[in-house]
Amino acid sequence: MNELINEVKQLIIETLELEDIEPADIADDEALFVDGLGLDSIDALELGVAIKKAYNVKIDGDSADSKKHFYSVTSLCQFIAENR
Amino acid sequence: MEFHIEKLSAWCGNLHTSQQWQQWALGEITYQDEDELPALKQIPAMQRRRLSRFAKLTMQCVLDVTTEASIDESNHIPCVFSSRHGDLHKTSKLIEDVAQKQDLSPTHFGLSVHNAVAGLYSIFSKNKQPMTATSAGEDTFLMALVDGYAKLESQKLDRILVVYTDEIVPEKYTPYVPDTEKTISVALILTRQKSHHNVTINFTSQQNKNIETEFQALSFLSFLYGKEQHINVNSTRYQWKLTKL
Repeated sequence: MNELINEVKQLIIETLELEDIEPADIADDEALFVDGLGLDSIDALELGVAIKKAYNVKIDGDSADSKKHFYSVTSLCQFIAENR
Repeated sequence: MEFHIEKLSAWCGNLHTSQQWQQWALGEITYQDEDELPALKQIPAMQRRRLSRFAKLTMQCVLDVTTEASIDESNHIPCVFSSRHGDLHKTSKLIEDVAQKQDLSPTHFGLSVHNAVAGLYSIFSKNKQPMTATSAGEDTFLMALVDGYAKLESQKLDRILVVYTDEIVPEKYTPYVPDTEKTISVALILTRQKSHHNVTINFTSQQNKNIETEFQALSFLSFLYGKEQHINVNSTRYQWKLTKL
């Protein structure tokens, strides 16, 4: 799981072109969107495409669960691990 | 039509300041290609990461004139953004992805539309005045001025921001455009009263397929900062006459 967590952090940084941010700067359990890292809805779409490409896991944008999966790096990794 | 230009900022190769533009127009310095991009440290990193070269050059010139003219949340102005090709480097990459049946980047797709930079500027500056994004082939630069003039006069505005940006097109498109095109951004504020630069511009229709088209933004800057009192600019569809007041 730790390996996946680091991979996903790296994926977030590269996909979303987060200059000046290191994987260590992203807390595993903190909110990725709005309050936490400050990502927005376009980032969510972009991340969805990148995760599908990297892990062949599709997150349904309309489902109520997608908000839960996208909440933090940990929740994202759990979802990937269960569905890849 | 009388144009009164209160502020102007242009970025092209090694030419960034009005002093440099003046020296260039007088033949004291020559144009050189330069890849350096404005740092735009005033824009938060989370917004800056979305700016392409096209967007960075535009934002630089826009923020330059709006800051100099003390435009803030109390006196935002309407805007005309213009570009012949738009952010073609971004668009052509998306088209390649479509051809190769790759998933498209939602971010790049969203930012490839013609009014993308107008939107980015609006988000950053909180300017919610009317903004348009126009294109008029080789006449884009001068027609954007005409568009700005029309809005200024018809709506009795105090001032309006007119912006023009184009980049040297991706290599596969070079056979289709004149080799006089450069990567350039120009932002200017037009007012209804006599101001810093004052120019009359008039145009008439013509049909001339064999004309060697000029790169209008550079012709205009060369005229504005140079010693000529009057120039003609010919395109395949129009003859433009520019005179200093």
